[in-house]
Amino acid sequence: MRLHEFVVRRVLLLIPVMIGVAVFTFAVAQIIPGDPAALQCGDKCGLIVGYDDDGKPITAHQANRERLRLDDPVSLQFERYITDLINGDWGESQKNGRPVIDIIKTSAPVTLEMAFFSLMIAYPLGIFLGIISAVRQDRMFDHVSRFFAIAFVSLPIFWFAMLLQLYFATGPQVGGICDPIFGTEGGCFPIFDRHDQSYTYPLDGYHSLYPESGTGFHLIDSWFVTDAKLAELPSEFDTNRELFMDTLIHLVLPCSALGIASSGSLLRYMRASLLEVLHEDYVRTARAKGLSEFRVVVVHACRNAMVPIVTILGFSIGGAIGGAVLTESVFGIHGMGTVAVLGILQLEYQIVMGVTLLTSVIFLLSNLIVDIAYAIVDPRVRLE
Amino acid sequence: MRDWEEGRKDREESQKRLLESLSMSISNLGRGWKIYRRSLLAMLGLLMVLSVSMVAIFADEIAVQHPYRNLTDTEDKWSNNPDQQESPPFSEECSLREQKITTNPSSPLFSETVVAESVNKVSGSIAYGYYTDVLSITEIIKIENDRGYDQDISLITIDPDNSSLFVLSPDLYGNSSHYTGVWVTYLYENEDMSHWWLPEGYDTCIFGTNKEGHDVFSKVVYGARVSLTIGITVATLTVTIGTIVGSISGYYGGRIDEVIMRICDVFFAIPGLILAMAFVAAMRSVSSLTFPVWLGILLPVLMLAYFLNSHLSTTVLSGDERVSDQAMGMLMGNRSLLVGLLAFLFFVGWLPAFAWPDFFGVSHSRGWRLISSLVVIVLLVGIILADRRFVQKNSLDGALTRIGSSFDWTNPWRYLNFRTVVVFLSMAILFKLSGNEGPEIVLIKDFDKLWQVQFALIFTGWPGYARLIRGQVLYVKEMAFVEAAKSVGAPPSRIMFRHILPNAWAPLLVAFTLDIGGTILSASGLSFLGLGAAPYTAEWGLMISESRVAFQRAPHMMLYPGLAIAVTVLGFNLLGDGIRDVVDPKNRR
Repeated sequence: MRLHEFVVRRVLLLIPVMIGVAVFTFAVAQIIPGDPAALQCGDKCGLIVGYDDDGKPITAHQANRERLRLDDPVSLQFERYITDLINGDWGESQKNGRPVIDIIKTSAPVTLEMAFFSLMIAYPLGIFLGIISAVRQDRMFDHVSRFFAIAFVSLPIFWFAMLLQLYFATGPQVGGICDPIFGTEGGCFPIFDRHDQSYTYPLDGYHSLYPESGTGFHLIDSWFVTDAKLAELPSEFDTNRELFMDTLIHLVLPCSALGIASSGSLLRYMRASLLEVLHEDYVRTARAKGLSEFRVVVVHACRNAMVPIVTILGFSIGGAIGGAVLTESVFGIHGMGTVAVLGILQLEYQIVMGVTLLTSVIFLLSNLIVDIAYAIVDPRVRLE
Repeated sequence: MRDWEEGRKDREESQKRLLESLSMSISNLGRGWKIYRRSLLAMLGLLMVLSVSMVAIFADEIAVQHPYRNLTDTEDKWSNNPDQQESPPFSEECSLREQKITTNPSSPLFSETVVAESVNKVSGSIAYGYYTDVLSITEIIKIENDRGYDQDISLITIDPDNSSLFVLSPDLYGNSSHYTGVWVTYLYENEDMSHWWLPEGYDTCIFGTNKEGHDVFSKVVYGARVSLTIGITVATLTVTIGTIVGSISGYYGGRIDEVIMRICDVFFAIPGLILAMAFVAAMRSVSSLTFPVWLGILLPVLMLAYFLNSHLSTTVLSGDERVSDQAMGMLMGNRSLLVGLLAFLFFVGWLPAFAWPDFFGVSHSRGWRLISSLVVIVLLVGIILADRRFVQKNSLDGALTRIGSSFDWTNPWRYLNFRTVVVFLSMAILFKLSGNEGPEIVLIKDFDKLWQVQFALIFTGWPGYARLIRGQVLYVKEMAFVEAAKSVGAPPSRIMFRHILPNAWAPLLVAFTLDIGGTILSASGLSFLGLGAAPYTAEWGLMISESRVAFQRAPHMMLYPGLAIAVTVLGFNLLGDGIRDVVDPKNRR
């Protein structure tokens, strides 16, 4: 099979899954009890907003039902749901009428930013420790690092994040270990939100720190925010560099929590994969040639051992997004997870479904990219 | 019907075989244990799991207090002093209490003697109630008026006859400056806190108290019960569902396989925690899990029909062509229609507009439901158990003897027959469930938030097992012994349960063990987000979540529950790894 055939096939296979996810979100939204129309008008549902052709009064509730077209048959509603999804209309918040797509536009980049940086921590850490662990198989280091790998997989991530908050927080803390290390000014890292002053509110909107056309990624936006804009805000930052550093430093603890927790499984994968490779013939050949052990492991063995690690990248992204939900909640970051939790608690199901849909799209796309990359690197895969 | 004596030889033979297989499996276990023992980490895991299970089982014995019991009447106190909202570990607060005493003689609550009692909050799974404990006072420490100024300690004395009564002096209630009431702080004998395993006189809260005044240690101990229950229930049910779906998918293949695997893909496409959150959201207002009576009858009947089906196809359709066979063939040929009809009934039953409960009962009376369902069951049981040749001969001649011989006790294997077990189980379940009043059978009465979490996790968990089992079945299906079983005409169910699954259990066991840990993690995560256990439940994730308001001042509130989760999950993970080493020698590196 040629490469482009493989890609087309892989993309085509995605379509039924995407439709399935859409059916799922639609079904959940249907099953969920409660009347969206009633939720929208609240205690003003009884108000008469107009009269129909026969002169009968129309209440706000009825008008809402009409507007949301809730009385249509389910099949029609589903059809409209799908077309709306494709057209970029993902419903709206039932309380303040904000489009779900807007809410997601401001929250998704925050989560992605976090997931990206946590993987940047997890991969080097996991791979490096995995290599050492495999090379020193059954020695003390191996046992200790394997134990820690399993321990990190077993840690509840929210608890781990709170421990980091406890011990690395800014300011005078009970039992904090930061002060002696980082000097008297109290502390290592901020433990809350993405800035020292928050300008974002998860469901209500994006408050004016960055330009409207911003990407939503705090790091990028803070880099490009103009000094004039900063001056008119009641902020303590004089230049955008300061703001950028501030946003960067706010990422340290959440991303470490997420990254260290997910490096455990990577270590195990890397170790197993490298051990497998180290028993191959070509490694023995390389050793027989008299190459240094370092060269044998790093150049000959690791390259091949890395291939399965790359394939689980897609799954790691899914895992990181799932873990981000909990980490965001601990660190008060207004990403997709916070939005989803708030949506559930405030009965904003459109938002929950939007987040579910988007995470699955991200997950599927990242898996697709990984698969295609794998097919480019290893042509054997295409033969299946 | 054969005589009891006649079957003696058969019984002895079967007993011998049973013993043989038992001793063989014991020796297998011994070998596995030898391999398992080698790994220090695996032994550590086993130890952790065992100790957590012990704690969960004997929670009533180990816990010092009821987990929801308010040890110190702290809510009153905290309103005065917010800095000491949570008592640190090893606190003495458990034997110290502050109580408000009404001193206005014109108040209806006033009396000259006041009982020293603590108001305890006790919450069951849903209800959140109060009860009072009468305390035995040992020493009065101080008396404060409403503004917090110390008063003369002799204003209140302890009744010499009854150590749980305060006696107010006339100076107190005769003085109008005290009319707003006084606060008395006293030490009391905390009998509940002196426990068999605590050293004498060591009546402190071991892990401190939380801001409700609950003993954190007791909550952690009871939390083991909650978490293990969730973990094991969810893992067991997901394994069951996953095995059924996966084996159907793997065995039959083709279009069924394709459909099931695409459904699994959809489940895999959404990150687990977010999927579980969506399910929890969907089940928000479900308060009890019920299903219509007709479904309760239909399900066992369908199950029986499935086995009947496989019998028919092997005993009837393979014979020579006769009229009854042709009729049967027509029936079998149209079985998609039958299945469709059943599916239609199934889905229509969900619509409230359709008065389904009246379909089976003239009334909703429990007796009628019981009888009608039993009649259906007995009919089918009679046909299947007694007379597999009934359809062939198409007559009832000698049916009685055949029914009798089916209860032939000389053949010991008949009692162990899977079909028999299923029939009796479904009868028992039906008998039990029909006892509920109303047109619906209540499966879970208090479908509280914990149940919702469990259901969400079951719903999100089964595709993983389905895929695992499917792979195993595909692998085992190609082996020679399965071919052999097929060639001698064994029905699919028999091949599945007797030949394929026993050879595919190893990875399932490993996944099951690892999944218990994973489930505990996810459940505590959901509780942490506020989507899991109801407030004040002794659930570890929830305890951590509740500690967030003040965890930097009082880290003990989050440290111990988190440690408990970590130890439990780590135990199950290490155990799973150890088992993997035993059952799968390839991974032993």
